[in-house]
Amino acid sequence: MSARIAVPVFPGTNSEDETVRLLRDCGGDAELVHWSEADTLRQFDAFVLSGGFAYEDRIRAGAVAAHDRMMDFVLTAADAGRLVFGICNGAQILLEAGLVPGTGPTRRPTAAFARNAPAPHFVCRHVYLKLALDPTRCPITAGLPPEALVPAWAAHAEGRLAATPEHLEEIVAGDHLAFVYAHADGTVDAKAVPNGSALGCAGLVNRTGNVLAIMPHPERDAWNYNHLDRREGDDVLAPSGGATIFRSFVQALA
Amino acid sequence: MRRAVAIDLKIPDNTAYTALVALRRLGVAVDRVERSELYFFDDERDAAALAGRVAADETIFNPNKHRLTVLERDAPGRGEVWIEPLIASKGAPAAIAWRLRDGSGAPVARGVLAAAVERLLCNPAIDRPLTAAGAPDERDA
Repeated sequence: MSARIAVPVFPGTNSEDETVRLLRDCGGDAELVHWSEADTLRQFDAFVLSGGFAYEDRIRAGAVAAHDRMMDFVLTAADAGRLVFGICNGAQILLEAGLVPGTGPTRRPTAAFARNAPAPHFVCRHVYLKLALDPTRCPITAGLPPEALVPAWAAHAEGRLAATPEHLEEIVAGDHLAFVYAHADGTVDAKAVPNGSALGCAGLVNRTGNVLAIMPHPERDAWNYNHLDRREGDDVLAPSGGATIFRSFVQALA
Repeated sequence: MRRAVAIDLKIPDNTAYTALVALRRLGVAVDRVERSELYFFDDERDAAALAGRVAADETIFNPNKHRLTVLERDAPGRGEVWIEPLIASKGAPAAIAWRLRDGSGAPVARGVLAAAVERLLCNPAIDRPLTAAGAPDERDA
């Protein structure tokens, strides 16, 4: 029997359909679980928290959802070593829940994906995520080559990693920096960062490597028709680079 | 002198209600939550003139749904916390004021407020909480 992947839907989640579709295209047994069915989450083996505006971002992005009953199950599962992958608002929820970087107690955040800077505006921009870890540090990235480049779309107003200097040091020292923003050729500099994120961070992983949070949306660059850098003659219906991380996630569950 | 202008919703505040429900779920003993957006202005002597100027700014004030108050104080009161972002954003409120009340309508005790701040209202990575200075609340004993 294949591993079952839950895509929890909070009030305000809006990227669940493309997330489930891509997981299934990558061979995963994925299904949506609405907040009214939270109890069923205990039957799942892995979790993907998709993008949107859970609870309308009230108080702070991810703050209310982090205390939702669905997250009780996700926290228990993460503690048991199950895989949890958060994208955009899903990533914000994981930070508010204290699961990543995981340098403090549960549900006591030590970092945030905060309002973009210097301009505090919504950003919609094609970006590349560069793997900053040894791929085997995190089972979700284990199927990627070292320094893999994953294309994605940044679509957020609150994606800037923010933390105290002490916690930023902990993020670096503890090898929590999973992805940084890069150019298409893999080079890394401030111009590649769309939101002023500290450390150029696009994604964080927890200490044990089973919880990964990324801000940009690779599921929105999963087929060539929505890949900005596709070449003349490419099959527009073929998978593009954003699918690679989902494939790696599903492989890790095999 | 520095003056604080509070802008509240006079229609139901769904964010405050969501905070109330979430805090209760977390076991924080609170019965009512009120919320204001705060804007600070330096060197303002004439409160009425300031109120008129802010009320004319349609980007932050809509008379059909907002209530505007020029506060007589520039610090939180009892049962109240001001959450200030560590990095201010242009055009955004300088702080969010949360007022927590018990079943009798009185401000909650300091310990209750502290629990609400620590567990939900403030992310210390990006926010700074300001609460009233003064003697400890006897109900915290």
